[in-house]
Amino acid sequence: MTPDPAAAVARYAHLGLHLAGGVGDRPGERRIPGRTDVTGIEPEAWTPYTPGDDLRHLDWNALGRLDTLLVRRFTAEREVVLHLLLDTSASMDACADDHKLATATELALALATIGVSSGYALRLTFLEDGGLGRRSARHRRRTGLIALATMLGDATAGGALDVGAALGDWAHRHRERGVVFILSDLLVEPASLEPGLAALHARGFAVHLLQVLGRSEWEPSAHAGGSFEDAESGAVHTVACTPTVLARYHELLEQHQMALAAVASRTGATHACLLTDTPVHAFVTGELARRGLVRPR
Amino acid sequence: MGLANPIGALALVAVAVLVALTLHQRRRRARRVSSLLLWRQLPTAPAERRRFRPDLLFFLQLAMLLALIGGYVRPYLASSTPPASGTALVVVLDCSASMQAREADGTRFELARDKVRAVIAAQAQGTRIMLVSAAERPHVVLRWSDDAARVASALDALAPLDTPTRLEPAVELALGAASRSNGATVLIATDLPPAPQVRRGPVRWIQVGGTADNVAITALTVDSPPFGDGRDRRVLALVQNFGATPRTTTITATIDDAPWTQRTLELPARGTEQVLFDGPRGSGVVRVRITPDDALPVDDEAVAWLPPPHPLDLVLVTDADAMATAFSSLVAALPDARLEVVNAAGWRERGGASTGQVALFDHVAPDGSGPALFVAPPPGDPICRGARRLDGAAAIDWDDTHPIVQGLDALEALEVGDVTQLGRPSWARVVIDAASQRATFPLLTAGERDGHRQACLGAALPVPLTSSDALPLLMVALGALRWASADTAETPLTVETGVPLLVTGEPSALLVDRVGVRRVALGDGRERLVLANLFDATESDIGRDGDGDWPALAPPRLIAATAAPHEFGWWLYAVGAALLAVEWAVGARR
Repeated sequence: MTPDPAAAVARYAHLGLHLAGGVGDRPGERRIPGRTDVTGIEPEAWTPYTPGDDLRHLDWNALGRLDTLLVRRFTAEREVVLHLLLDTSASMDACADDHKLATATELALALATIGVSSGYALRLTFLEDGGLGRRSARHRRRTGLIALATMLGDATAGGALDVGAALGDWAHRHRERGVVFILSDLLVEPASLEPGLAALHARGFAVHLLQVLGRSEWEPSAHAGGSFEDAESGAVHTVACTPTVLARYHELLEQHQMALAAVASRTGATHACLLTDTPVHAFVTGELARRGLVRPR
Repeated sequence: MGLANPIGALALVAVAVLVALTLHQRRRRARRVSSLLLWRQLPTAPAERRRFRPDLLFFLQLAMLLALIGGYVRPYLASSTPPASGTALVVVLDCSASMQAREADGTRFELARDKVRAVIAAQAQGTRIMLVSAAERPHVVLRWSDDAARVASALDALAPLDTPTRLEPAVELALGAASRSNGATVLIATDLPPAPQVRRGPVRWIQVGGTADNVAITALTVDSPPFGDGRDRRVLALVQNFGATPRTTTITATIDDAPWTQRTLELPARGTEQVLFDGPRGSGVVRVRITPDDALPVDDEAVAWLPPPHPLDLVLVTDADAMATAFSSLVAALPDARLEVVNAAGWRERGGASTGQVALFDHVAPDGSGPALFVAPPPGDPICRGARRLDGAAAIDWDDTHPIVQGLDALEALEVGDVTQLGRPSWARVVIDAASQRATFPLLTAGERDGHRQACLGAALPVPLTSSDALPLLMVALGALRWASADTAETPLTVETGVPLLVTGEPSALLVDRVGVRRVALGDGRERLVLANLFDATESDIGRDGDGDWPALAPPRLIAATAAPHEFGWWLYAVGAALLAVEWAVGARR
């Protein structure tokens, strides 16, 4: 089902993304406070004139008052690209009742809406069977949300995916810095993610791990049955779903989440988890706002 | 308890299939999860994985399967019934026409009945008796009874009919009844010699009669050309002498009881004579009789219907001038015939035929009421259900009892060129079947529609009508026109005794067991004159070798305990159906 971009704009246009890092050298429309440039709109600092400076930026008032040649420096305006990497492997649709892929696409559109409203350029990439899959054009206007929503609506889950390897591959293909949101269930060995995340970090990307989990994964019930089939590998594992075993499962899941958080911390990334029965807007205005990623504009 | 279909037990293989399917489905029922990353760290449940643990659904499916297999092998319970006390006797008494033959001591029927009475009187006290009369079909006159008075009364009430003999069904019925009764024997009293295949059972056979003195009228046909002036009508009688000596007999014919003609015949021993009566002076019921009387009087008289002259009053609906001209020439040659020619448009304006008129529709089939013949109806018409045009066809079969084609021998050479493949409309029956290179189809159908006789002829009438090639088809068309224009209410029904005749209304068949002329109320409420004859040379050939009594060769079947199997497979099917519903409900909940 294609998410509704108009509804997303109505719901999230008043929010803004406040992301640190990921700023590249490509001129753009997003002002980067603290970084100056010789051209711009908003003066931010003055530096002593050196031969070669553009005389048009010489501050004649300061020369009259201080008798010193000062050149105006402006707040740098750069284009920051917001990369949305969406996991579309079979694991995202393992349990139809969880609607993980649908939740992830809704979250992606919410982030895109907020991002384009905040002056970010957008690019959506599917992480598919075998690595990198379809990717969108770079969108800089709200009109691009329509194409983005259509692409999200076409997303289908299938195939196996090594998320860590896919992230490493993606990092090697993209030299220009930016902000990366990874939307996945992240039910993989945390250690396997670390090389990819480290590569992203090394290239100057600001990385945010947004984990989407289903309620059945968070709290599996005893009547769910004793045999479990891996949606990607097809392997079957039989477990007696006794209360003890389920308690152990919860314990293992908590350990997994903690390991993910540790990996994220080591690689300079953030990690947040969204359960599919939680409304996406509640997650955006709650969890993401609490982490300072989203604020009212 | 037993199984009527033990081979059906092979279906138990389905149970193994069910188990295999359950295991397979269980493997398929493994719940899909995003990853086994966490689950793999939990201990495996090997017993759970390997052991076959059927659930409620499996047990319901198994029970349903077993119930269906149980029904398929058709189990039965053999309930024992106590043996009947005393003995039993099934009496088959021949009541056909030949039993009316007069012998020296009385009729054959009386002689046979006396012998039956004697046999019954010799039976032990308490013997149960069933009485079956045999004529053209068996009839159980009295079911099992040990009341001597009732048996005697039923026997006295029997009388011979005027129908041919069909003894085999009655014997079969008697043997069947005897086989179901303890120690029952069968007594057959007839004028026929014993049948060898019957003699193998517990059958006593009594034959009566010896005389062969019989002269019979075995056929009487009326030949009346369509739309003639009446002078060319003829009546043909077939007289046979079944005796061993030559006979001189007088044959007289009357029309509506008015004397017509009389002849004297010299019949050789076992000889046959055809007698032709022509030039009748009137119309009505023709009664032909031979004298003096012989041993069997029932076949000494025959009746037939001599129709009155019926001039043709035809409305020809055609758009072809050549056809109109051809019919004008034809009508000019028929006495008192009248012809009116209209085209299709004129027919629609006219709205139908006048009273007494018959319509011939040439290549058109308007939905008009009244007696009509549709010739070469266009394909797709709703009345005759014409399918398509064919280039040529030949008649291959026809109902020679139908009045349209009765006596038309020329049909064997009937070949037609332009022909419409007719359908089989519900209101009509097929009179002539034809075949082309590609299909077999009705060429002529006829029946009653909206209270009028109508016929459909698939072949186009060739012009000129009177060419030698066209003559058979013209005779068929004229026969159909005569049949359609006949007054059905006034035309008597001619039947043979013991032979059912299909009629309109309910009951749809007329069966007559007495010769002669009588009025009968038919199912449609109309009263019709019925002319019935016994035209059966076999029945009239009454010569026999004399009386005889053949005792039963096989002893009666003694049944110690009658096993009356009671199958209950259908109950198992019902249980299976109920289990299916329960299984569906349980499965839907999951």
